[in-house]
Amino acid sequence: MLPLDIDALTGCLASSACLVTQTTSGFIIGMLLFLVAVGLTLIFGVLKVVNFSHGAFYMFGAYFAMTAYQFTGSFALAMLCGAAGTALLGLIFERVFMSRVYGSDVLMQLLVCYAFVLIFDDVVRMIWGPEFKSMGMPAAFQVAPLFIAGGVVPPYYLLLIGVALVVAVVLGLGLARTRIGKVIRAAAHNPGMVSALGINTGLIYGGVFALGGMLAGLAGALAAPVRSLTPGMGFSVLIESFIVTVIGGMGSILGALIGAILIGMIRSFGSLGFPLFTEGLMYLFMVIVLVSRPTGLFGKEVA
Amino acid sequence: MTRTRKPGVSRRATLAMMGAGAVTFATPWVARAQAKTIKVGMPTILSGRVAQLGTSSRNGVMLEIEKVNAAGGLAGRQIEMVIRDSKGQPQEAARVARELVNTDGCEILIDAEASSGAFAVHEVARDLGVLCIHTNSETSALTADPKQHIPNAFRTARQGVHDSIVGGSYAAAIAKAKGLKKWATCSPDYAYGRDTTGEYVTYLKRFAPDTEIISESWPKLFQPDYTEVVTKILQAKPQALYTCLWGGDLTSYIDQANIYALFSQMEVFAVNMADYTALTVVKNLPKGIHSGNRYIKTYPATPENAAWGDAYKAKYNEYPTNWSWENATAIMLLAEASKKANSADGKKIAEVLRGLKIKSPFGADGTVTMRAEDQTLVGYAIGWGTTIPQEPYVPQVQAGDWKTIFELEAEWKKSKGYT
Amino acid sequence: MTELQAEQAAVVPRIESQSQRSRYRDVLIALVAFAVLAILPMLTGSKALLDFVIRCSAFGLFATSLNLLVGFTGMVSFGHGMFFGLGAYGFGLLMQRTGLPVPVGFVATLVITTLIAAAIGAICVRLKEIYFAFVTLAFQMLIHSTILSWVSLTGGDQGLRGGIPRPAFLGIDLSNHVHLYITSCALLVIGLLLMRQIAQSPFGYTLRMIRDNATRASFIGIDVWRAKLTIFVLAALFASTGGIIMALFVSGAYPEFAYWTISGEGIFINMLGGVTTFLGPMVGTVLLLILNDTVTRLTEYYGIVLGIVILFFAIGLRKGLMDFVVEWYARRRAGTGERG
Repeated sequence: MLPLDIDALTGCLASSACLVTQTTSGFIIGMLLFLVAVGLTLIFGVLKVVNFSHGAFYMFGAYFAMTAYQFTGSFALAMLCGAAGTALLGLIFERVFMSRVYGSDVLMQLLVCYAFVLIFDDVVRMIWGPEFKSMGMPAAFQVAPLFIAGGVVPPYYLLLIGVALVVAVVLGLGLARTRIGKVIRAAAHNPGMVSALGINTGLIYGGVFALGGMLAGLAGALAAPVRSLTPGMGFSVLIESFIVTVIGGMGSILGALIGAILIGMIRSFGSLGFPLFTEGLMYLFMVIVLVSRPTGLFGKEVA
Repeated sequence: MTRTRKPGVSRRATLAMMGAGAVTFATPWVARAQAKTIKVGMPTILSGRVAQLGTSSRNGVMLEIEKVNAAGGLAGRQIEMVIRDSKGQPQEAARVARELVNTDGCEILIDAEASSGAFAVHEVARDLGVLCIHTNSETSALTADPKQHIPNAFRTARQGVHDSIVGGSYAAAIAKAKGLKKWATCSPDYAYGRDTTGEYVTYLKRFAPDTEIISESWPKLFQPDYTEVVTKILQAKPQALYTCLWGGDLTSYIDQANIYALFSQMEVFAVNMADYTALTVVKNLPKGIHSGNRYIKTYPATPENAAWGDAYKAKYNEYPTNWSWENATAIMLLAEASKKANSADGKKIAEVLRGLKIKSPFGADGTVTMRAEDQTLVGYAIGWGTTIPQEPYVPQVQAGDWKTIFELEAEWKKSKGYT
Repeated sequence: MTELQAEQAAVVPRIESQSQRSRYRDVLIALVAFAVLAILPMLTGSKALLDFVIRCSAFGLFATSLNLLVGFTGMVSFGHGMFFGLGAYGFGLLMQRTGLPVPVGFVATLVITTLIAAAIGAICVRLKEIYFAFVTLAFQMLIHSTILSWVSLTGGDQGLRGGIPRPAFLGIDLSNHVHLYITSCALLVIGLLLMRQIAQSPFGYTLRMIRDNATRASFIGIDVWRAKLTIFVLAALFASTGGIIMALFVSGAYPEFAYWTISGEGIFINMLGGVTTFLGPMVGTVLLLILNDTVTRLTEYYGIVLGIVILFFAIGLRKGLMDFVVEWYARRRAGTGERG
């Protein structure tokens, strides 16, 4: 019952033009996913919360960016608004609501997030209406695609991949090298000890949540010119970034990066070889990873 | 251990609460509809991703209900619409439909559900025997399959196979003129997408036998990113592309295909493009996309149609959608049938509805007909044209020929074993 | 080790004699509950009330069976809804394609569920905590996408169409509304009674021990994997029964029945009603359905209202309703005890 098209797949693997195009297309899908997933994995790593409402931040990022773009006409301002707006939202959300359910049942945390998925979707529907919207591609990027080794690559997507890679590097180095990074890692490991040292863990938690929200918002803002905006748009992105974090290992930034690229490649080459079962392929891959390595590819063993 | 169990207590308390719940819940059921008004129930999708379906369906219905009520209602009874959200879940659609009839005392159902929800409401109509008009489901099987047929259910929506016949013959003419032999398809992976695409290809090949499909893509419904299917199509280098993506999915697809300059490399046939929901939203609408009409106020090019579109715009501050006219048609037909039957009784209305022909702004020749044999709408305006990026968006529409549609539809039904 | 075994040996007969007494009481309560439900159609002509009880039966069985996993064994499954969907599709397909008598179709569906649940469970129950949740969710999505893709069998996104045939058996005609109602009630009451027996049996206490400390349980010789797998399959059977009732109610089966949102709703019902009492999920079911039915009548912004209610439970009460009531009652009794 699995419709296979092996010829298309092998044919593509043999041609450099196809290989370049499909590989970049895998990167594009993967990189936006990475921005959402890395926030998810960061929040889980430090706060031990599975932020089920993460998709809503992606949605808000897109809507904020679209609105800012409509008023100012500036692409840079739109991106800034998308990221800053969701960072603020994340901070408020964490301080006012999530901070009340730390230490209680995991299910209660999940429930609070679920409540906000419902509330946020309806809030967007109230403010922007139920119909889908489109931000439109800024004139600067309305240029002909580039040809690299015969493959087609749109310039806007190069920007997108670049931004995501910069985020990955900055995050990775920031956590490993800087003082704040060390404090955050310490808080993830032993919050009691960190607060005993006179560091405000509440601030760290709020900050990490804001950072996670901001990255999701940035992903939404970057996606706004090419994806339509509707209430509930965060949902499918959330599910896919869940798969990414689970495959990569909850809490691991490198895992999120590798997981996102893997999912991107599965989508991009899977659509050639298994046109009707691309989605199923992702779940299958997730099952296989979970069964062979329950903590994901780069996750640490749980005690 | 904080978990404590006191089973005795919990059970008694539960029973008491269940009792209390039942009592408080039983009271509204006593309330009955006033005999003078007639309640019409409408389950639809008012929340989630396709909330627009529900709101524009509701708008279409309410615009007409006002006129009908001003003219005296259904056989002297004022219509009261009871519109409820099913959230797009079939079991909720079934539940809401049953409740509308059993609790709220609705005597007629307008089923403005999409896809599986419509089939769920259809089963309720079968069970309860209430007059039901499907307004949004375009799936051919809903009325074409005799297994689905019940005397009390009608459809005022387009039908997928009609679209495909007209679309196929239009595309074949262009394919012949421009020498388009290699085709690709890209449609959402669900029943509507698969059936419509399959039928379209059948008729394309029938009218232009030397065309071939060299690539198929089936993205998921509501998939946010189409990059991999866009690039897949670019690899295949077809001369023409057919898609029946719709709504937000179609606009996403266009935005993403645009930056790959896909539209300059092939002719694109997008059946669901010429609807204001999509036309007004896409910021950089490429010129020259071939599209079937959904609703545009310039086709049919009659004063009645333009006036209807403007009245809708004046009232709701947006243009009507494909769903709006389909729902408005349901009310127009109801009103006319009730007038002819001189009754608001569902059974009597149903009898008159079969074969009823009414004047309509949406008719190909100024009228639409509720075909008696399978109780679905025919004679509505159907045609194809190419887009321009500003109003009127599709300046010239080539009308489909209903005579051909009927012939080929009968043939199609036979091939499916429906007749 | 020997000490522990001796302790366990002493505990078991005590539990058994206790459960013997409470078993009679449970059966009695079940009979009374069934009698009350059964005379309801004679007291009221309201079809909507009967519909409401039928839906409560479907979701109640599903949610209570989920609580066997979540509340009793500490296995948070995010994919329990797949068995709800499996029941609906299995039964619907069997009835549509084979024309078997209803009871045979019912049993055959349960057999199919057992096989699939055992296969999936064997893979899943090895994993702990959040990873168990994720892998069950992944299986749920896999089954959902299979239902969507396998159009020739399942009808894809449009579900099983054309109604589910239900030939009369033993004088019971399930196309009759009242017959369907009575059958649903009977299934609900029997299902709850059976689950109650499982919860109160020595096996049920084994599960609680696994929940509280799986390592300790395995030290005293309990095969944790087998116990978890057993309850996973048993819970799947009751969820499947809930799905069968739902399929009969809507006379069809739709992919949404196997979607993760059904699992999410099950978890939500459990949190709403409370996971520490046996009837908590049942109360949660009634609450959620009442909430759902009334709120969708009043507003199209259902999400905001439901969201605020959830926040009230999660942040305000911090526990399910039954948990809250039980604690409140215990506190009050303790208070009067002191005074008296």
